[in-house]
Amino acid sequence: MINHIVFIFIFLLGFYAILVKKSLIKMVIGLNIMEGAIFYWFIAITDRGGIIPIVQSTQVAFNLNDPIPQALILTGIVIGASTSAFLLTLIIELNKFTDSTNPDQLGGIIED
Amino acid sequence: MSRLKHISIVIILAFLGLIMLLDLNKIPNQFEYANSIYHHITNNAVGETGSLNFVTAILYDYRAYDSMGESTIIFGAVSGIVLLLSRKTLPVSSHGLSFIVKRTYGMLTPFIFLFSVYIIAHGHLSPGGGFQGGVILGAISIIFSIVYGSEFDYKRYTPTTKTLLETSGALLFIGIGLIGIIYSGSFLSNLNILNSEPGSLLSAGSIPFINLGIGFKIGAGLAIIFYSMIQKTFKEEASL
Repeated sequence: MINHIVFIFIFLLGFYAILVKKSLIKMVIGLNIMEGAIFYWFIAITDRGGIIPIVQSTQVAFNLNDPIPQALILTGIVIGASTSAFLLTLIIELNKFTDSTNPDQLGGIIED
Repeated sequence: MSRLKHISIVIILAFLGLIMLLDLNKIPNQFEYANSIYHHITNNAVGETGSLNFVTAILYDYRAYDSMGESTIIFGAVSGIVLLLSRKTLPVSSHGLSFIVKRTYGMLTPFIFLFSVYIIAHGHLSPGGGFQGGVILGAISIIFSIVYGSEFDYKRYTPTTKTLLETSGALLFIGIGLIGIIYSGSFLSNLNILNSEPGSLLSAGSIPFINLGIGFKIGAGLAIIFYSMIQKTFKEEASL
């Protein structure tokens, strides 16, 4: 229950940043906050209260946490970093044509 | 933004959050099934892959094909960034920090490199792996740019070297996958001939080698991304 509440709060905080903020970079930050909320939630709800899924020796260990969500989230983190870098690159390129990162003031790219 | 619009957005988001909470409460607390994949992996992963770290076993053995797609996404992002930020001249973005910082970092660099290689090579034994160690490897180039200036980074660790490292990492990954076809008939199958006792450094079949390829690929990719970005931004500042 507390996991869901924290997840929804952080997720909507990022969504609020995307809706309200007037800078494209702050929107990318909001997107990253949403990603972080999903990563947190996915790890938190699959927590079994066990130890990390790394064993000491070949014998079967008990009470391990589920390794599958952790592997999935590792994939998600890497892809999130890639998309953030690409979005920031697009903003840098956009800044060559306009002097603003405010999406309301863009109004199309000026040909020179 | 007008105050009314602001308040209405907050109210709509609060309503959305309430609906999400009602939906998420339907998820059961325990994910217990008798023959779930969790039980299969925790019981058999050491015997099947030889990796003591189950996350690594999933990433580079059970779902290795997915990891290859993931590294392809990074390759696509790096290609797009380099394409967008490509430039003709090389402006010197910074001249580095003071002598003390340069000397200190010069002494620290081998140990940072050693640490990243340790994280990569022990990915199947301890927390870590190719992605995590690769980020540390990329940080070396980033600190080079900051401490010694971007010209030093360009001369010592040229974009050609970075591209070569990234491509060779990807080729190592795909090459191990192709060897898997010859060895046991399926792409990216674990090469059990390389196995020794689980817990030693050269165990877990092809997992350490895939880790090595991924590590170099991620490190070089991050270095290329940072390099492209910092060149462009400093050029803009110099023209102002």
